[in-house]
Amino acid sequence: MKTVITSSDKSFINFGELKRYGSLFRYLSLRDVFVRYKQTRMGFAWSIVRPVVNILIFGALRFLVEKSNSFIDSFILVSTGIVFWQLLSTTITDVSNSLSANSNILTKVYFPKLLLPLSGILVCLVDFLIAFVIFFVLFLIFKGMPPWQIVFLPLVIIYGLVFCFSLGLISATASVKYRDIKFILPFLIQILFYASPVFLSSDFVLGLNMPEWFKVIYQANPLVFILNAFKYCFTGTFESFNMVYAASSVVFTLVMLFISIKYFFNFEKSFADYI
Amino acid sequence: MSQVAIKVEKISKKYRILHKQKNSNDSLLSAFAGGLKNMFKAEGGQTEEEFWALRDISFEVNHGDRVGIIGRNGAGKSTLLKILSRIVKPSSGRIEYYGRMASLLEVGTGFHGDLTGRENIYLNGSILGMSKKEIDSQFDEIVAFSEVEQFLDTPVKRYSSGMYVRLAFAVAAHLNPEILIVDEVLAVGDSAFQKKCLGKMNEISRSQGKTILFVSHNLAAIQNLCNKAFVLNKGTIGFPLSDTSSCIKHYLSEVVNISRTAISDRSDRMGEGMFRFTNVIMKDAAGAVMHSAQCGMDVTFEFHFKLTKEQLTNFSMAMTVYTDEGKEMFTLSNAISGYSIDVLSGNNVLQCKVKKFPLADGSYICNLIAYKDGIIQDYLQEALLLNVEEGDFYGTGRALPQDHKECFLVENKWSLS
Repeated sequence: MKTVITSSDKSFINFGELKRYGSLFRYLSLRDVFVRYKQTRMGFAWSIVRPVVNILIFGALRFLVEKSNSFIDSFILVSTGIVFWQLLSTTITDVSNSLSANSNILTKVYFPKLLLPLSGILVCLVDFLIAFVIFFVLFLIFKGMPPWQIVFLPLVIIYGLVFCFSLGLISATASVKYRDIKFILPFLIQILFYASPVFLSSDFVLGLNMPEWFKVIYQANPLVFILNAFKYCFTGTFESFNMVYAASSVVFTLVMLFISIKYFFNFEKSFADYI
Repeated sequence: MSQVAIKVEKISKKYRILHKQKNSNDSLLSAFAGGLKNMFKAEGGQTEEEFWALRDISFEVNHGDRVGIIGRNGAGKSTLLKILSRIVKPSSGRIEYYGRMASLLEVGTGFHGDLTGRENIYLNGSILGMSKKEIDSQFDEIVAFSEVEQFLDTPVKRYSSGMYVRLAFAVAAHLNPEILIVDEVLAVGDSAFQKKCLGKMNEISRSQGKTILFVSHNLAAIQNLCNKAFVLNKGTIGFPLSDTSSCIKHYLSEVVNISRTAISDRSDRMGEGMFRFTNVIMKDAAGAVMHSAQCGMDVTFEFHFKLTKEQLTNFSMAMTVYTDEGKEMFTLSNAISGYSIDVLSGNNVLQCKVKKFPLADGSYICNLIAYKDGIIQDYLQEALLLNVEEGDFYGTGRALPQDHKECFLVENKWSLS
């Protein structure tokens, strides 16, 4: 086996290599899962507490704002958004932190660095699954069987993860050189939270009396489509569905995925110099 | 087997050093305004300097060679290893190597304090490039080598530092690549374990015909382990790849040459520069200048210096004495021995008196370092060569036996009771 190193090495996704490092991917993910709630009294219960608190706060808020829903319905409707949002936002954050959090490995040993952001996703998924199971049971109790559209659920989750992974990957790569990202990201996530139908339905927002251009901006946010698609799996009705925005969300996500990977690999070889 | 394992052609590595122009932020407001200005001026207010960590390095290593890389701090050894192990990219040049390569630039890379010993073996092993199967098959050996069986299910943050290092090295020692790159990692752990590690490395390299690149300050370890070596000096090859002993000889003669340069003429210093050593003088008890110390004598070291300011506050300094193999013997430090220097003025002379000089005859190398408020002001490696002559340490009128091996002499009194 011959390996050549030159100054002009450009890397791109090397699937053979990723496969050879499969066990590293597994142990990095397992480490993140094991360590997340180490030395906490409640352990994995935390992955339920966080969404539950949010559901209580924003369910009440929704009840106050959108007066049309019943009290219980407000909480059920909000919980769909919150549970999925929790997955999306933690994925963005964890993927984004994955490089700087592992700088000690990055500067000491060679491995395909894409494994770090990838392994960041898995913890978020574990957290999500725990919260989701609880949510699903409650949903069955209060709402009965979900409609047939539930079969789209895995697709929607993967789609949402792709979007968040791309966004996280761009900010992870940028944060190797510019630590400013660390401070910008929480703001960005907070903005996305309010700019997406997490606790207010998009129908409600679009029904408000505001200029047309603002509605265009609101709907251009790819997360509007992603979150509504998730709710669609449980309600069977697609809120404020619009073919143009749906298509633009998909295109935007794919373009961003491509750009983020390109950007990542352009800088991959210099990570150790900057981090 | 004289097949080429690693072929390095004209490798260079350039770093850019940015010097911030001094803008005195004397108020919070101006500091804030400065930060805003920097945000809009891309890399503004900075001057750039190129620094070549490595320049045109070429060498070839054959299969089965155990090559030592020798050089002073900052010679580029670590940079070279990082380029070889594909952690950083060279600025120019080309490297080819044949076979699987593993690098060991640190023991316990990726160890996580909250994980147990068992979990860390798997994590660390996979980070170093082992597959689960390989780790499984060697697991028992790793545990036996590390001597931490009982604590396998304890989080490693509860380990003593010795146990931690032993476990970390045990994993690394069971790596099974064709080419192994090792940096200075043996400088950890207690000496018994260090010996065990060196033994293990010896065994791996000799019996299995592995190619090893090894960096160490410990010349004895290099002598012991490597059959070839080369010297790196300020980013270039100081002495080409050749057999280990002639390489070490060259390196030592170079060190001696450097230490013979007068301290005030040295330009390869580090630190802020508010304080500069200009000379170190040795005096005997009567105050007469000596050119070499004598074992058992009272020796006073006088440190001469110049200051850029009239006074320095909160000053401290240290002189560390090494053997020519790089092993640290002792340090004379005013801070450690409890003498604080609150104000140092240009007219002062710093003196340090050593009663009954304890080192056995031989030549030693001293590094000098000076701090103000804990910030390095002057740092000189190999600042002076300290020759120690035989002396009557015990006051018996006799010298030590010809074949003595110790480097330290200790006062002792015998009795029968």
